[in-house]
Amino acid sequence: MPVAVLILALLLYAAIRRVNVFEAFRAGAARALPLMKTILPTLAVFSAATSLFRASGAADALHALLAPVLNALGVDPALVPLLLVRPFSGSAAVGALTDVFTRYGPDSRVGLTASVLLGSSETIFYTLALYFGSVGIRRTRFTVPVALFAMLTSAACGILFSNLFFGA
Amino acid sequence: MNIVLLLLLLAGIAASLLSGRGDGVLAALQDGTANAVGTVLKTSGAYLLWMGLLNVAEQAGLVRALSKLLSPVLRLLFPDAGRAKEAISLNLAANLLGMGNAATPYGLDAMRLLNEANPRPGVATNAMCVLLAVNASCLEVFPATLVGLRASFGSTDPAAVVLPTLLSSFAATAAAVILCLACTRPCRSRS
Repeated sequence: MPVAVLILALLLYAAIRRVNVFEAFRAGAARALPLMKTILPTLAVFSAATSLFRASGAADALHALLAPVLNALGVDPALVPLLLVRPFSGSAAVGALTDVFTRYGPDSRVGLTASVLLGSSETIFYTLALYFGSVGIRRTRFTVPVALFAMLTSAACGILFSNLFFGA
Repeated sequence: MNIVLLLLLLAGIAASLLSGRGDGVLAALQDGTANAVGTVLKTSGAYLLWMGLLNVAEQAGLVRALSKLLSPVLRLLFPDAGRAKEAISLNLAANLLGMGNAATPYGLDAMRLLNEANPRPGVATNAMCVLLAVNASCLEVFPATLVGLRASFGSTDPAAVVLPTLLSSFAATAAAVILCLACTRPCRSRS
C-alpha cells in the first residue's frame, strides 16, 4: 500500500525534524472545519437543484439530446456536471465527484475518470479573481486564455489517459 | 454559477409540472439538501486526515526544502521576480505538495510584492501572468485529498488514479508554461 508508506515516511521525517506531530496534526485538522462549513451551503444548493433536475425527467431529456455529441467525443454524460462546475467552484466540483461515486462507485470507469478530471484541474476563475483582485489588477493580458487552455488540456488528457489506463 | 443554478432549478420545476409530477418537487429539493449533509460527513474523514498530515509536513519544513529545489525552475519562469521570488517558490512548493490552503497566502504575498514593483498599476506584469498560469494548472506530486475521498467512498484501490492524474496535470502545466513563455518572450525565437 503506497499511501501507508508515504504516511510512514512523513511521520518519520517529522519525528527526526523534532516536530510536535500531535500539535501540528491538530492545528491542520482544525482548518478542515471552516472548509467543511463553506462547502456545505454550496453543496446543498447544487444537490437540491441536481436532485430536482433528475427527478423531473429533464436530465434524461438533456441526456438523450447530448448523447450523440458526447459519444463522438468519448465523454461519458455522467461527467458533464463535473466538467461544467469545475472552473467556478471547488465545493460544487467535489459535490459532482461524490455524486458520481455514489451513483456508479469510485472504481467504475466513470468514477475513475471523474477522479482524474478533478485531480488534474483547478478552480481557475476563483483563483484568477482572488489573486488579481487582491492587488487590483484589471487588465489580465494573456492569463485567462492560457488558464482556459490549460483547463481544456487537462480535461482532454484526463479523458485520454483514463481510457488508456482503465480500458476504453 | 448563478445562471447554471437558475437554469437547473427552472428546467427542473418546469419539467416536473409539464409531466404532472409537480407534487414531487419539494421532496426532490429536500432530498438534495439532505444529501449534501451526508456528503460533507462522508468527505470529512479525508479532509480532517489530510489537512492534519499536510500541516505536519509543512511544520517539518517540507515546503521550504522543496522551494529551494525549485530555484532553477524559478529562474527560467520568473526572470524578473525580484523580491517576490521567495514567496513565489513557497507558493509553487505548497501547490506541488497539494497544500492548497497553505499555497494561497504565499501566492497573495507574491502578488503584493510583484505589484509593488509594477510600473503600470492595474495591468498584470509578466511574472503575475506566469504565476497565475502555473496556479491554474495545479501540478501535484501526490493528490492526497482526492485519494482520501475515493477511500471514503469505499474504493478498493484509491491510489489507482494517481499516475493518470499526474500525467494529465503535468500536460496542463506544460501547456500553460509553454504558452506563457511564448507570450512573455516573443523576441527570443528570432535571435
